[in-house]
Amino acid sequence: MKLIKKTILGAFILGLSATVALAEYPERPISMVIPYGAGGATDISARSIAAPLGEAVGKPLIMANITGAGGATGSVTIQNAKPDGYKMLFARVGSHSVNPAMKATLPYTLDDFRFVTVYEINPVACAVTPASGIKSMSDLVAKAKEGGLSYSSSGVGSLLQLAAVMVLDEFGVEDPLNTVTHIPQKGGGAAATAVLNGTVNFLCTNSSAIAGFVANGQLVPLLVTTAQPVVGFDAPTSVDLGKPALQQLVGWTGIAGPDDLPDDVAKKWGTWMQAATSNAKFREIMESRGSVIELMNPIDANAFILQQYTTFRALVDKLGMRIEG
Amino acid sequence: MSFIDNIMAGFSLVANLESFLALFVGITIGTVAGAIPGLSATMAVALTLPFTFSMTPITGILLLLGVYKGGIFGGSIPAILIKTPGTPASSATILDGYPLAEKGQAGKALGMALWASCTADLISNLALILFAGWLASFALNFGPPEFFTLILFSLTIIAGVSGESLLRGALSAMFGLLLATVGLDLIYGTQRFTFENPNMMGGLNFIAVLIGLFAIPEIIGMVWNPKADEGKSRALGNNWVTFQEYRNSFRSIVRGSFIGVFLGSIPGIGAAPSAFLSYSEARRKSKNKENFGKGELEGVAAAEAGNNGVAGATLIPLLALGVPGDVITAIILGAFMVHGLQPGPMMFLINADIIYGLFIGLIVSSVFLFFIGSIAIRGFKYVADIPRSILFPSVMVLCVYGVFAVNNNLFDVGVMFVMGWIGFFMIQYKIPAAPFLIAFILGPLLEDNFRQSMLMSGSSASILFRGPITWFFWLLTSITVFTIARAGIKTRQNDS
Repeated sequence: MKLIKKTILGAFILGLSATVALAEYPERPISMVIPYGAGGATDISARSIAAPLGEAVGKPLIMANITGAGGATGSVTIQNAKPDGYKMLFARVGSHSVNPAMKATLPYTLDDFRFVTVYEINPVACAVTPASGIKSMSDLVAKAKEGGLSYSSSGVGSLLQLAAVMVLDEFGVEDPLNTVTHIPQKGGGAAATAVLNGTVNFLCTNSSAIAGFVANGQLVPLLVTTAQPVVGFDAPTSVDLGKPALQQLVGWTGIAGPDDLPDDVAKKWGTWMQAATSNAKFREIMESRGSVIELMNPIDANAFILQQYTTFRALVDKLGMRIEG
Repeated sequence: MSFIDNIMAGFSLVANLESFLALFVGITIGTVAGAIPGLSATMAVALTLPFTFSMTPITGILLLLGVYKGGIFGGSIPAILIKTPGTPASSATILDGYPLAEKGQAGKALGMALWASCTADLISNLALILFAGWLASFALNFGPPEFFTLILFSLTIIAGVSGESLLRGALSAMFGLLLATVGLDLIYGTQRFTFENPNMMGGLNFIAVLIGLFAIPEIIGMVWNPKADEGKSRALGNNWVTFQEYRNSFRSIVRGSFIGVFLGSIPGIGAAPSAFLSYSEARRKSKNKENFGKGELEGVAAAEAGNNGVAGATLIPLLALGVPGDVITAIILGAFMVHGLQPGPMMFLINADIIYGLFIGLIVSSVFLFFIGSIAIRGFKYVADIPRSILFPSVMVLCVYGVFAVNNNLFDVGVMFVMGWIGFFMIQYKIPAAPFLIAFILGPLLEDNFRQSMLMSGSSASILFRGPITWFFWLLTSITVFTIARAGIKTRQNDS
């Protein structure tokens, strides 16, 4: 009888401790919002890390694309989400550093989010067509000063728009908003096509977006913004050209929750991401697309994004690029 | 390597069970996914992508192409049966497909959709193989001014789908243009008609508007007047399309295929405008003009030829230039890159075997599409036999689920219901829905390209006449407008 009692008590305690263990985050599937459309850079990055990340988490990840307004529609759903870590966002350079820096009417600010990681960096490259006769950055700058130069972007408030302006500004083109024409396109693919068919003269975009054109000789790269050269891009780096400030100009993908996300949840994401990004298959897929896998812990990620935002914001304010309407 | 060597090398790549299986599975997945409203061909391709990473390049890409082709065809099934287009590309199929189903000829409409799709698919693939280089260099001549004139010409379709009253059609089109302006301005990034609501910033969701406009009014109509269809037979019977009917529509199918090839090879247009253009051309040339929109088999054929003609042709800019023409080809480009392949002029030299392997696979895919499509129709056609009292509530559930699934956003479901009521009143006042839809698709393209042209030229209108392509479309537009005006004057004279 005593034994039975003991057994029951034991089972009870065991059961109790089991519930405690279960109550630990995560006890159910986590929804992950991708604020850009299927097949885009963010989507492919997110879906590539979903498999190794799901293994690390131990619970299923439910991926949902909520698109619109340059990532703003999806981001708002996380801004308003409960800070329990069961609804997280794949944040991207466009939605979380360029947009907040440029758009006054954006329904969120950087303070509404807590970043748990940045795991992918995309170098930015500027390119022209071989037919343009432009061979170097100094050629480009000389043409820009003459006037009549134009560039494409994937839309207003995109990294591509800011990148072109920042590069021109760094190279001493005065008042680049008025001397050089910005012709926005719908999406990154259309932006590259606009250079190819001569609608515009140049663009500055993620190196992965134009790697194919560069390899095929359809586009000539003039500059990569990273300190390290980019494989396949026969172009000087920002450091080679003496413009180290341009190193800030990179694309990235990270994961964010609402701003009041608890510390232990953020810490867990740190460990999970460590495991997920060391997956060989994931690295292979991302690197074949021209991304650099660079894992940042929650503290570094927040600092990195804030610094990029501050740089961009300063430039936007200096040139009067802020969109108020 | 010579041409023959390349073909042989291509054969050796494709001629294995794995490749054919991938193609077969892909088309099956695509057809089923396309038939589910809200699960578009784009989404089906995106969801299949991760599975291709571990396959050989040719197998993986054939799988994706299979899903794409199956998806574009599959979309026509719900368009015909329940007036709910599975993908935006099949919205033109509704115009005559659903009236046919109402008349108890769903089997015929579905059969014609399949035959037209396969024919167009084959023509499109052949165009890709034979004229890729030529069409690609032509497509690169399309800048914003050329686009603007092409879209302007396409807007004349509205006159063709307006039904009896051009005024009502124009009213509907203007309403479509107005709703298309919701969202962020392309050039300045400012907000238009968003009312501070973040859900409106991305513009109104296309699928939500589409389903709301077509499927929901039917359901509201049923609730309004439940006994309206008593005595009407909806049963499809087993009538299958005959070869004679196929031959009668053959000209329209071929014309639609070429429109598809032409528009598909230009990056950034997509399958829906092509389907509408093909439909409107078929109507213009047809002897049974009056019957279009009331259940004309040739209308289904033209619409389906138009959208499937795009499928092979979108690979032209992708393979020849490395330029993805739409979201689906952008995903396929991603699959190439994961395998270390760079589509573009160099690929024809470095990886010619893969290119020719793909070509062979594509030709086979048209045949597979025919067989899988026939099986799918056999399964799905019984939907037409389901009594309305059971079918319509199910359609309603499917619509809500489908619209939510597109963007995981409840707001879109609200948009669908609001559009449903608007669509219902439009039917009550005999305002046709098709012009609204065409304007909603083409309006943003027209505006964006016009404003891009103005940015290019520093606001000088002369850029809109800058070359032979623009002149060609200006000429076509003026001829069409003239014809419409003359027809209008004639009817008025006859009336009085």
